[in-house]
Amino acid sequence: MFANSFELFIQRTVDGLAAGSIYALLALALVVVFRGSGQLNFAQGEMGMFCAFVASTLTLSGLPLWLSILLSMVVGFVMGVGIERVVIRPLEHKNPGGVLVAAIGLFLLINQLAVAVWGVDPRGLASLFPDGEDDFFRLFGAAVRWERVGIFLVMLVLLALLWALFTKTKIGLAMRAVANNQDSSRLVGIRVGWILAIGWGVSGAIGALGAALLAPQAGLSQALMLGPFVFASAAAILGGLDSPLGAVVGGLAIGLIQAYIVGYVNFLGGGMVLSVVFAIILVVLLVRPSGLFGSQRVERV
Amino acid sequence: MAWPKDVRRGSAWHRVGQLVLFGLVALFFIRAGLTWNRSGIGQLTDMLLFATAAVGLNLLVGVTGQISLGHSAFFGLGAYTSAVLVGQYGWTPGWTFPVSIVLCFAVGMVVGLPALRLKGVYLALVSIALATTFTQLLNWDRLAWLTGGPIGIKGLSYLPPSWTPFDGRADLGKWFFWMSLVVFVICTLIASSMIRSRFGRSMVAVRDNETAAAVMGVNLAAVKTLVFGLSAAMAGIAGSIFAMKLTLVEPVVQFFTLFGSIFLLVMVVLGGAGSTWGPLVGAFIFVYVRDWASGVGEGNGVLGLFEGTRIGGLGGIVFGVLLIVIVFVAPFGAVGLLRKARAKVVRVLPRPPALPTVANAQEPQPPTTVVSG
Repeated sequence: MFANSFELFIQRTVDGLAAGSIYALLALALVVVFRGSGQLNFAQGEMGMFCAFVASTLTLSGLPLWLSILLSMVVGFVMGVGIERVVIRPLEHKNPGGVLVAAIGLFLLINQLAVAVWGVDPRGLASLFPDGEDDFFRLFGAAVRWERVGIFLVMLVLLALLWALFTKTKIGLAMRAVANNQDSSRLVGIRVGWILAIGWGVSGAIGALGAALLAPQAGLSQALMLGPFVFASAAAILGGLDSPLGAVVGGLAIGLIQAYIVGYVNFLGGGMVLSVVFAIILVVLLVRPSGLFGSQRVERV
Repeated sequence: MAWPKDVRRGSAWHRVGQLVLFGLVALFFIRAGLTWNRSGIGQLTDMLLFATAAVGLNLLVGVTGQISLGHSAFFGLGAYTSAVLVGQYGWTPGWTFPVSIVLCFAVGMVVGLPALRLKGVYLALVSIALATTFTQLLNWDRLAWLTGGPIGIKGLSYLPPSWTPFDGRADLGKWFFWMSLVVFVICTLIASSMIRSRFGRSMVAVRDNETAAAVMGVNLAAVKTLVFGLSAAMAGIAGSIFAMKLTLVEPVVQFFTLFGSIFLLVMVVLGGAGSTWGPLVGAFIFVYVRDWASGVGEGNGVLGLFEGTRIGGLGGIVFGVLLIVIVFVAPFGAVGLLRKARAKVVRVLPRPPALPTVANAQEPQPPTTVVSG
């Protein structure tokens, strides 16, 4: 009996971490944009969804899967840079409140563009990792699917890459400088505009990767990112909007909370998961208003 | 005399101008209420109800600077309060309205508490939580005895009482229209006189700089929670009437979901955040542009996708592009654009300062010394 419930616990933990990895990936995309420009990109999920459709089309035309996903990440990068330069930047100077509305406009635009280009018939996107019926190994009796392990590893590799980007490269240094103080950065010769645009591009590429990893299990449709985006932004807020590590911790935590609630709290039922997640986040935020790992900013009057 | 002409605020000409503008808007609504056909009036009524909720949201977002993406929850709470009292307990619809106002006010004040700690995007995200949690609560099977669960509550009706000039079922559309118009006007009057009051000044101070406001003696906690409550109450009464007009409530009604919150915020920003006329203009643009855009393409509703039908088309693209274009063309909303146009014709000067009292009769003199070097 004990072994059984222990197995179940491990199984739920593994499932939670797997779902959490996706949230963490998407939260990372949000964090990269927020660090630079202080904006929450509401169109992030739809950009990723669009790129997943691009990847699906490329594989259908005969390209290998890994190359298609890589190309779709390039599309995501270009999209991010383009949106920042064409829509967000000009607005930020003219109409800060309008950025939110513009992002909602982009959300609708990209979503419906995907409908117009690819139609509403369901599509598939193959998985990068073996995801057949029996592609799993046993850990303490729980089935761990290779696909989930793959996604988890991709997420860790991405976190390491981002860490290297921010701390080991010149562009990363410039990005941190811009996040800290735009005016001073400009004075020391950093091209702030391009650094912000690159931040959006990187975020677009990460979003594309996240969507490409999510699509095989969730099914590729225009609604692909609606739910995950809410969870991802919750993860980013929980971890602190300017901390990549926080995004990963927040994402995994939310994945786990979700799995445990569905598994153990029968009273609530599956439909109330998001509410409980948000209640927990609210409590965390009331204690730490900038999230778990977010930096507190001192304001001067 | 060259254009633009100068008009002093509070002068006779200024009053005349205001009256003409007000008269034209009033005339439009009165004419619409008397002559428009059933579907036209229905749409105008919806617009007024969204505008009423937007008036409340504008107080919060535009004037006090607290972003909320949770107002669909208050709109829905008002709707469900009326629906439950009418559908489950057989109340007269009119008597449920005060109940939903009070309930939404109370819940709004409680929801305003996190705003004491959280700012900007963090507050926006927590308010998203409110919107999604509300939808989940409506669907929750343990509350189904009250809310009807996913099925909702159907068969609501609010026939005009006998003391009104409306003729029962035939005039149902007009009855709802005039009721919504009155509620909208009352809410706008409350909002605009509030903005001009001492309390309104502290709201603006909170928006512009919280720390400075607190230093100047503004009670942040009182301002934020009260505005949250008031704002929620306005959304609530709009929701109550909306539910009676719709004759049903169910969790998938768009304005009870997160998208409703987003749309209300879009209305506030489109119209011009912080201005008195903004919510009306924003709601007007939103309802009619969306309607027009959904006619483009294959005639599918722009937002069909969001109602789970997964049908879309050109309409959504047009609407998305229009939203972006409008924020570009009108940085301060449509009202800001109108003000700019007006500035070409008349320039409104501020009121003259109050007459000096004996104690400080000395007129401030312009500096006469010229600093050189």
